[in-house]
Order: sequence, then C-alpha cells, then structure tokens
Amino acid sequence: MEGKVIVMTSGKGGVGKTTVTASLGAALALQGKRVAIVDMDIGLRNLDVVMGLENRIVFNVVDIIQGRCKLKQAAIKDRRIDNLFLIPASQSDDKDVIKPENMVWLTNKLRKEFDFTLLDCPAGIEHGFKNSIAAADEAVVICTPDVSSVRDADRVIGLLYARSITPKLVVNRIVPKMVESGDMLSHEDIIDVLSIDLVGLVEMDDQVVVSSNTGTPLVSNKESKAGMAFQRIAMRLDGHPDLPVENPMAQKGFWKKIGKKLSRKNKDDK
Amino acid sequence: MKFNDLLKKLISKPESKEVAKKRLKFALVYDKLEVTDNMLDNLQKELLEVISRYFEIDRSSMNLDIQRSDEYSALVFNTPILSAKRQQQGTSAA
Repeated sequence: MEGKVIVMTSGKGGVGKTTVTASLGAALALQGKRVAIVDMDIGLRNLDVVMGLENRIVFNVVDIIQGRCKLKQAAIKDRRIDNLFLIPASQSDDKDVIKPENMVWLTNKLRKEFDFTLLDCPAGIEHGFKNSIAAADEAVVICTPDVSSVRDADRVIGLLYARSITPKLVVNRIVPKMVESGDMLSHEDIIDVLSIDLVGLVEMDDQVVVSSNTGTPLVSNKESKAGMAFQRIAMRLDGHPDLPVENPMAQKGFWKKIGKKLSRKNKDDK
Repeated sequence: MKFNDLLKKLISKPESKEVAKKRLKFALVYDKLEVTDNMLDNLQKELLEVISRYFEIDRSSMNLDIQRSDEYSALVFNTPILSAKRQQQGTSAA
C-alpha cells in the first residue's frame, strides 16, 4: 500500500510548525510507522537542529531532485527513534530551485518507501508553500490562539480547498488559564471562525524549549503535556480519527480542588 | 466565589477574547471582499454591455464602487439614464 503525504502549514511564521512536524513525525514512528520528514524551507533549514541531526547532513532534498544522490543517501536516520528519517533542506540554494513537478516526482518515490511523509512547509504562501501543497494528499494547518495567526490560517485553508484538500486544524500554544479568564481565544472560538475540523489542541509547554535546546524528541518526554498531545494527534492521523480531543485545563490550586470536591459532594447530597 | 465572578463581570471591561473574535471576523470578511482594480474594470465593462442593451446611458458619469460599513458591504453602481431603448415585443435582447 502507498503511504500518505501530509503537508504541515500555517501561513504565519513562528507558530510552532517545525516543532509540531518533528513531534508528530516522532510520534508516528514510535507507533511503528515508517516516517520521512522533509524540510521544505530551502535556504533556511531548521528541522535538522530541532531533531538533533544537524551534524549528520551529507545530501539534501535539492541533491535528490537534481540527481546528485539517491533518496536513501539523503534520508538521515534518527538516532533515537527507529523508522524516523529526515530529508534536510539545502542551505545554499535559492528557494525557487525546486518546482511543483519536482515535488510530485519526489513524493511519488517517498510514498513507496514510507507510510507517512510530512512536508514541513516554510511560512508564507510563496514557492515553498506551492511546492508542498502540489505534492500533498492531506494537510494539517497549525495556528495559535491569536488574531494574526488565525487570519493567516484562514487564507491558507482557502488555498488548500482550492486544491481540493480538506485540512485539519491543530491549535498550538494554548494557555488554559487565559482561556478560562476570557483573555485568549478558545478553540471553540477559532473553529467557529474558521469552520474546519479539529485534530488536536496543544497547550503552551516549557518542555518544548528544553527539547529543542537539546535536540531530543518532545514525545519521549512523559512529563511534557505538549508531547502527550502530539502522541494523540499522531494516533488520530494514523487510523483513529475518532479519538476524542482533550481540552487543556488550567491546573487548579490545592484548596480550589478541595473546594470543588466539597461543593460537588454537597450537590450530590441534595 | 460566584458573587466575585458576577461582580467582575459587572465592573470590568468586556473579555478581550470577545474583542479579538469580533475583529477577526471582520478582518476575514474584508479579506474575502478584496478585489483587484482589474476585476472591477471588467465588471464595469460587462455591466455596461448589458445595461446599454436596454438603456441609453451617460457613460462618462457612471461609476462602480464597493462600499463598506461595519454591518454590510455593497456593490454600488451609479449611472444616469438618458432614455430607454424601444424594443420590439418578443425579441430578446441578445
């Protein structure tokens, strides 16, 4: 059976696209799938450092496309997770060196080798974006709960629909406390505005920075709430679409928790 | 606790996320209404074509515009009519 090619995109930069891509790739590989992650940001590669593979790059995606190496030579195997591979971006080429038809050719090869190919799309809706969506079967749109990010997500969703791809949404960097106090858009608000299916909610997590500092996979960190959320998203992408989406909740203080329990008991008594 | 919440709602400003949502909705509507000058020109040309089958109009003082307010957006086409064209009964305009 041929694998799936999923484009990871957001429109706006800095919403955590690369972290989400690396984490979902790792989670899918931990679930036993063969996974390739392709860094599509030609000239500004990032995924290699996030995944801790920066000093093992020999060939890159442009080398494959221009015939300087085989696909297998450019795919770097992850040290910690089996079945996880990175195809890095080139750092020296111009961003228009790849054309949409090149990506269609490349992903046709990748579908035969891997169960999942994740394309980490650069910010914006230019070259890298057009190349990525030309080759994708499915799309995951990532946004954060702020006005500019949701607006850009809307634009990207429109462009994906124009290519007959129905995207799914990940809301990243949710701060539950602020949502509860009414100072942050909730995922309901965002879905109401974007009318799109939700595939996961990820709360703001300091462990994301720690894991990218060290280049270790977030999903192997059992302490990380974001990491756990990514594992559930990976399951939804991999044949369990109905796995319920958990809504991040603010940690209640000790006394508040007790208070809540007591008031619940009182209600029950009545 | 409940009383505090009520008090907060009465005293404080509206929740900032409500403001965000409202602004977002407007921004998206506006984004979708954005048209190029080229598109407006073409629309004007085609409208002129259709209208001049039925009316004699003053081409120099007509104008086509999109007007926006908080509640609605409207396409406004303004043209003085000089006279109606007499057509034989039963013949189509084409």
